Amino acid sequence: MATPATLAAAPPVVRRTRARVGDRRTARAIHYAMVAPAVALLLAFLALPAVYIGWLSLNVSTYGQPARFVGLANYAELLHDPVFWRAARNTFVVVNAIVLGELALGLGLAVLMQGRVPAKPVVIAILLAPYAITESSGIVMWRYMLEPDVGMVTHVLARLGLGQLDWSTDPVATLSLASLIAIWHHLPFTFLILYAALTTVPRDILEAARIDGAGAFQAFRLVTLRLIMPALLIAVLFRYIFAIRTFAEIWLLTEGGPARLSEVLAIYLYRETFKYHQFGMASATGVVMLAMSLLIALPYLRRMFREVVRGG
Amino acid sequence: MQTRRDILKGIGAAALGAAAGPFAPTARAADRMTLIGHAVHKAAATTGPGGDVTAAWRAKNGVELEWLTFGVEAANERAMKEASLAEGNADIVFILDRYTGPQYAGLFEDLRTWQAKDPIPEFAEIPAGMLAAHTFGGKLTAVPYRHATHGLHYNTEFLAERGIAEPPKTVEQVAALAEKLTFKRADGVQVYGLVMNFDDPATPIDWIRANGGDFITTDYACVIDQPGAVRGVTMLCDLYRKGVLPKNSMTLKTEDVTTFMQQGRGAMTNNPFNRYVNYNDPKASRYPGKIAVMALPLGLDGKPIPAKTSVWAMAIPRNARNKERSWSLVRELSLPASTVAATLNGNGPVRPSAYEDAKVKQLIPYAAAEKQALGSARLVVPGFANAAKAMDILMEELGNAMLATKEPKVAMAEVKRRVQPLLPT
Repeated sequence: MATPATLAAAPPVVRRTRARVGDRRTARAIHYAMVAPAVALLLAFLALPAVYIGWLSLNVSTYGQPARFVGLANYAELLHDPVFWRAARNTFVVVNAIVLGELALGLGLAVLMQGRVPAKPVVIAILLAPYAITESSGIVMWRYMLEPDVGMVTHVLARLGLGQLDWSTDPVATLSLASLIAIWHHLPFTFLILYAALTTVPRDILEAARIDGAGAFQAFRLVTLRLIMPALLIAVLFRYIFAIRTFAEIWLLTEGGPARLSEVLAIYLYRETFKYHQFGMASATGVVMLAMSLLIALPYLRRMFREVVRGG
Repeated sequence: MQTRRDILKGIGAAALGAAAGPFAPTARAADRMTLIGHAVHKAAATTGPGGDVTAAWRAKNGVELEWLTFGVEAANERAMKEASLAEGNADIVFILDRYTGPQYAGLFEDLRTWQAKDPIPEFAEIPAGMLAAHTFGGKLTAVPYRHATHGLHYNTEFLAERGIAEPPKTVEQVAALAEKLTFKRADGVQVYGLVMNFDDPATPIDWIRANGGDFITTDYACVIDQPGAVRGVTMLCDLYRKGVLPKNSMTLKTEDVTTFMQQGRGAMTNNPFNRYVNYNDPKASRYPGKIAVMALPLGLDGKPIPAKTSVWAMAIPRNARNKERSWSLVRELSLPASTVAATLNGNGPVRPSAYEDAKVKQLIPYAAAEKQALGSARLVVPGFANAAKAMDILMEELGNAMLATKEPKVAMAEVKRRVQPLLPT
């Protein structure tokens, strides 16, 4: 053990080494102490509730009753429920429509905004405006504009001889409208990330590509797209994770109707929790949604990891 | 002199106090009571020609009431949530019959004990059916406060415009008149003969029962596949396909139906009698004073259609802090005089004698019709653990039948197949 006496007796090199080791230990302790509150918060607000939900999914639980362990029975019931599978299919379709639609539109607009656009700041402000609108207000506004018989947009469509959008009776129309509203509302997020990424692409690399004979499309595909890929992946990943929880758009339009045909998983979960008070089933649904999110995110995370490694 | 440690202690204590404030029972004022319910409960108890029913009780007990009001579903959800906590903040909660069930009975006080200790006068007057809606295993979990019983509302101006001399007297006439009342007005407004909310089976059940059918009987038999019920569903499907019901009917909620009636886009609807006030509200309606209400007409069997009713009742959570005081207020709100006052404020009275009150007769134009309807009214379903899920299944398959993706008979057979395992054995 290094006492002050032995340290004093040791040669200078040993003293310096021991001092450095001591410094490193102190520094490490300080690092742990500084990170500890954040880790504690993560454990308290994310990990523990997640574990609790996992445990609850193995129980039958409702208000006023003690939870009863049933093993995987909730998952079995879930997998045997055709409404769950329909909700899962709808979720898959809606999530992809929203994210890919947003990506295509966001990228297109971001590229457009790189060029010469009159009153560019105003146009960008208009593009970002939907993000400033409260989600529920935006959806209700769309709903009233497309209300059968009395909606403004319905009137315009009828005058143009295009008939009515049957979103209240046709589940395909409901899901399409919900996707459109979600794209309209969340487009600014994707646009902003991609626009910012595009502004960082060095002009000299693009000029070099053109000198090497690349056309505009080739330069975009082989240079620009590759350079903005990390930002693009982040945008896509975030939007997938958020879109899988799509709820308000469909709930405020039809509550998943008619005949639960336009229901998505978040609405299924809502019913189990707040209408049926079946917290075990609701937790099982939540766990399945989490697994789906991870499955969707995995390829993107892998790609991002590779990009980071390659960048490093 | 204060040391740095003293100051830190003070800050820590203040921060802990602030964080625990909303949850700490000691931080709440001792003279405040919290009631969880719907806005109509507060309005019925405090606002209108009947005056504030709670005023005298509040003055006598030195208690202020804090009303937390929500939509129907959210009010029930919040009530259950508060009642299931180890220590709650709610002193009285209002529960609707179709959101309760035997599985929740343990959350609330057995009010028979309190009734024995400090009885509500003339308690026997409250109909047994209403008490049964909140009684599970012999335990009275809540005292009925309000009923919402359906009548048939109709726009008298539209009837006159279409040359219809009088409102329908039978269910067949309702269907025939609804077709006649579906028309485009000179100002371009499309009027639908019948508008109904399809957010739960409360309105469709009237037409199922009008045709001699039912969904779940009081002894928990699912009879929705029987000919009467299928006939009722078929009638609704026919009206929908003919455009008598609006195309977006399946997405309509109570508030949407109110808007339809106020804007003159709906000619008739079966909804609670007290909606009369909303439909005729001069501030919101284009037809104030022109929308009348009557008891539902005769069914196919020649008897009055058993109108749908629902019963809101007051429960005391097991975790309430001062149950004696909670019961005292429940008792006050249940007194015969309070019931009359609440009726004048727009409440559906749980004491039939309230309809005999001279002021009620004078101020509530639908009082006699509502009393008549109450005589044969029925709950949507009897209370049981899976009632909400069973009702959702009915609405899902009814939607399939209306969309013509399934024949009514097939759809109702499917309801029975899916609901049967959910019923109490």
